[in-house]
Amino acid sequence: MDELAQVCERIAASASRLRKAGLLADYLRTLDDSALLLAVRFLSTGPIAKGGVNRTLFGDEEKQRLSIGYATMREALERVVDWDPETLRLCYQEVGDAGETIGLLVRGHTKEEPLTLAGANDIYQQLFRTRLTARKVELLTEVFRTYRPLTIKYFVKVVTGNLRIGLLAKMVEEAVAVAAGLPVEAIADANNRLGDLAQVAVAARKGTLSAIETRIFHPMDFMLAKPLDRVEDLPTPAKWFVEDKYDGIRSQVHIDKGRVKIYSRGMEDVTSGFPEIERAFSGASSTAIVDGELLAWRNGRALNFTVLQQRIARKSVRAALLLEVPVVFVAYDLLLESGQLLTGEPLETRRARLEALVAGRKSLSAEPESLVLSPQTRLADHAALEQHFNEARARGNEGLLIKRSGSVYESGKRSGAWMKLKRPYATLDVVVTAAEQGHGRRATVFSDYTFAVRSPDGFANVGKVYSGLTDAEIKELTKIFRSLSLQRFGRVMLVKPVVVLEVAFDGIQKSSRHKSGYALRFPRIVRWRQDKRPEECDDLQRVERLYEASLGG
Amino acid sequence: MTFSHEPATPPVPERNPTGYDVSMQVEFHDYGVFLPEIDLWLDSTAPQRATWISHGHRDHARGRHERVLGTSTTLRFYRMRLTVEPQDREPEEFPLEFGETLDWNGALLTAYPAGHILGAAQLLVTYKGERLVYTGDVKLRPPLAGVTAVTVPCDRLIIESTFGLPIYRLLSREEARERIVRFARECLAEQSIPAFIGYALGRGQEIVSILCEAGIRTAVHGAIARFIPIYEEAGYRFPGWEAYDARETAGKALVIVPTHGSGLKARGRNIRIAYVSGWAALSNARARSGAEELIPYSDHSDFDELLDMVTHSGARHIDLVHGYTEPFSRILMKRGFEARGHRAGAGTNVEDAEG
Repeated sequence: MDELAQVCERIAASASRLRKAGLLADYLRTLDDSALLLAVRFLSTGPIAKGGVNRTLFGDEEKQRLSIGYATMREALERVVDWDPETLRLCYQEVGDAGETIGLLVRGHTKEEPLTLAGANDIYQQLFRTRLTARKVELLTEVFRTYRPLTIKYFVKVVTGNLRIGLLAKMVEEAVAVAAGLPVEAIADANNRLGDLAQVAVAARKGTLSAIETRIFHPMDFMLAKPLDRVEDLPTPAKWFVEDKYDGIRSQVHIDKGRVKIYSRGMEDVTSGFPEIERAFSGASSTAIVDGELLAWRNGRALNFTVLQQRIARKSVRAALLLEVPVVFVAYDLLLESGQLLTGEPLETRRARLEALVAGRKSLSAEPESLVLSPQTRLADHAALEQHFNEARARGNEGLLIKRSGSVYESGKRSGAWMKLKRPYATLDVVVTAAEQGHGRRATVFSDYTFAVRSPDGFANVGKVYSGLTDAEIKELTKIFRSLSLQRFGRVMLVKPVVVLEVAFDGIQKSSRHKSGYALRFPRIVRWRQDKRPEECDDLQRVERLYEASLGG
Repeated sequence: MTFSHEPATPPVPERNPTGYDVSMQVEFHDYGVFLPEIDLWLDSTAPQRATWISHGHRDHARGRHERVLGTSTTLRFYRMRLTVEPQDREPEEFPLEFGETLDWNGALLTAYPAGHILGAAQLLVTYKGERLVYTGDVKLRPPLAGVTAVTVPCDRLIIESTFGLPIYRLLSREEARERIVRFARECLAEQSIPAFIGYALGRGQEIVSILCEAGIRTAVHGAIARFIPIYEEAGYRFPGWEAYDARETAGKALVIVPTHGSGLKARGRNIRIAYVSGWAALSNARARSGAEELIPYSDHSDFDELLDMVTHSGARHIDLVHGYTEPFSRILMKRGFEARGHRAGAGTNVEDAEG
C-alpha cells in the first residue's frame, strides 16, 4: 500500500497520459499475482470486489460496496488530532478531498508503520463486514494512528472512490495492457465481458484472457451516438436505419433463468424501481442482455423525464405510483443471447434476433404491454430524415437515433456508427452567479458557470454550464469574474450577477439542487450577451411556463 | 548546509517579564497598522507621513510616503517600485539595519531579520517599558536566501498568518533544494524543459541560485532577473545565469513568474512546470497553477513555525494580519492566548497573497 501510494503521487504529478500509464505499468509489473489483483482492484473498482467475485466469501451479492460516511471518518480523525471541528471543516474546505485532508493532518501523529496491500485489504474487509459505526470508527482510528500519512491519504481515497490523480479508468486498462504486453483492446474487451479489471489483469498475465466469458449481471458499457448537427450532414442516407430518440433512462436488462436485473448508464442496479419491467422479462427462458430505454408512458407516448424521475432510486414502488407513472421498456438492441455474445454481429442480425425475442414475449411474460420494440425504419434520403425527425418530435420524443447498416455494437464508444439528431429546446438569457475553475487546459481560468434567472427575490439558479465559449472569451470573462468576486470557496467563486449568457438546453426538470426548484437539462452557451443587462434576463415565470408546456408532451 | 556568505543573526534582548496588560495603542486599518502615539505606520499601502516597510514586496513597499523606515535593502526595493514624477518629492529615508536602534517620537525602534526575502525585517517597538513586535512577512526556518529570522521576546505580537491552518506544513530549504534540482535534472535528462514558477522577488532568486549553484543552465525571466544584482551585492551567487529567450530554451531550466506559466504551457512545447510555493502543499494547486510538480516551499512560516514563533515570543496579546486570521486566532485562543484576527494591510485576500 505504501508503494501504491507513492506511485499514485507520481501519477498525480505527471501531466502526460502516457507517463501516467507507464508509471502504473512499471509498478504493476513488480507485483505478484495476489498483490496485482489488489492493486488493480483498489485503483478501479474500489476496496471491495464487485458483483459476485467475492460471493463465496460473503455470500451476499447485493452488498457490494464499502461505504463509510464523512461523519465516521471525521470522528476517527478527531480521536487522533486535537483540532476543533471548525478548524477541521476549514481544512477540508481548503483541500477539497477527504483523503488528502486526513493525510495532511495526521502527520506527526502516527507511528509511520509500513502497510502492505494484503494488510490494507484485511482492514477493508473488516470495515466491510462490520455493521457497527463505532467499530468502523475504531478501525479507522487505528489506521490513522499507525501508518504513513501518504499511505493513509490513499487508503481513504480508495474508500471514497475518487483518487483525483487524473487516472481515468481507461488509463488503468492501458497500464494493465502495457504491463501484460497485450493490446489495450484485448484488456478493455475482457473487462467489458467480466466487469472486474483486477481479475482481467491476473488473467492477462497468465495468458487466459480468452477464457473469460461474458458474465451476466454485470453491466456492459453502452454504445453511444455522435451528435449530427444538420440533416444534410449524414453521408449516404440509404445506408442507415432510424429510430426515435427517447428522453428516458438508457438501460440494460440482464436475464438469466427467470432472474432479471436492470442497469442504468451509471452502471447502477435500478431493478427495484421498475417491478413491471422485471416481470415483463421474467418469463424468458433464454439468457440475454437487452439494450434499450426506460420510459414513463401513457396513451402510447412518452411522458416528460421529470415524471419518470419519481421512479428512480426506489427500494420499492407503491401500487399507486405504478398506476400514476406507468413505465415501459423500449428495446432496441440485443447484446447477448443464449450465452452467445452478439456485439460483433451486424446491426441487422442483432435486430432480427431481438424481434424474435420480443415477439415470443406474450407467451413468456406476465406484463407484455411493458415491453415495446423500438420501431426501426430504413432511411431513403435526406428529405425522409427530415420527415422522420418532425414526426418523432410530434410524438414528443427528443429526435432521432440513426444507426448504420451492418455496424457492430461498439461497447463504450461514441464511434459514428450511431448518430443522434436533436433540436435545441429553447434558449434562455441567464445571468452568471458563480464561476468555477476548469480542468486541464482550462485549470487556470474560470470556465464553468452557475447561472440564474430573475426571481421575485433577486436571482434563482437554474443550472450550470461548461465552456461553449472561445478561449479568448473565457480569458476575458475570467478577468471580469475576478473583479466581480463576492466570495471564494476553493475552486468556486461567487460573483455579482452581471454577466449575461444565452443558453440552449434540451429540457427542464424539477430539481432540488437549485433554489428555483428547476434545472435545465444539458445546457450549453450559445453566446455571451454583452448587449444585455441582468435586469433583462428571463425570469422564473418563463421557466415555469416552459416546464408546464413540456409536461403536456 | 548553510551558505558560506550567510550573514549572522543579531542577538535578541532578554524577555521583559512585565505581565501587565499592554497599553500601547494600535490601530488596524485596511491599508496598514498605525501606532498613533509615535505617529508611525507599519506597511501602509496608502501614502502617510511616516511608515515602516517590513520588506520589498509590492503589496508592502508602495505608496509615496513622506518618510520611510526599513533596512537599506528594503528601501532599495521600495525605490525601484516607485514611479517618479518630476513634481514628486523624494521620500526621506531612515535606514535601519538588523540590530540597529533608532529613537522615534519617544519610542526605540530595533530591526530584526524576518527570514522571508532579502532585507525583510521585523520591527521591535519599545515604548514606555512595553515591547511590541511587528513581524511583517516572516519565515522562521532558514530561508534559501536571506538572513535567518529570530523570535523576539515581546508583550504584544503582530504576526502574519498566511499559512495559519494545520494542513500547511512545508519543506525545509534543504528538502526544497533537493526537490528543485532533482526535478530539473529529471526533465533535462528526458529532453523536456523544466520551468519553475516563482515570485518575481524572493522565491525567483532563490530558485535561480539553487539551479545555478547545481551547475544547471538557467534562463531567468526579466521580472526576476532585475533583482539579481541586489542579491549579488549581498553575497549570493548565480553562476552563469542567462536572460530568458523564448527562442532558445532547449537544455535549460527556466525560472518564470506565475503569469508567464500558463502562456508557456499553451504553446504546447515540451515543457514541464514546477510550482514552488506554500500553496503547493495542496494538490488543488496543480489545477490552479497549471503545474504538474508541486514543491511546497515558501518564504512564509508554515503552521508549525507560526505556532513556534507565537509560543516563544512570550507575548500574551497576538494580533493576526494576512491569511487565515480568523481560524488561526481561534486556535491560539484555545491555547490561552489573547488573539485577534484583523483585516489589515496587504494580501488580505488569501488567493492573491504571495506564498
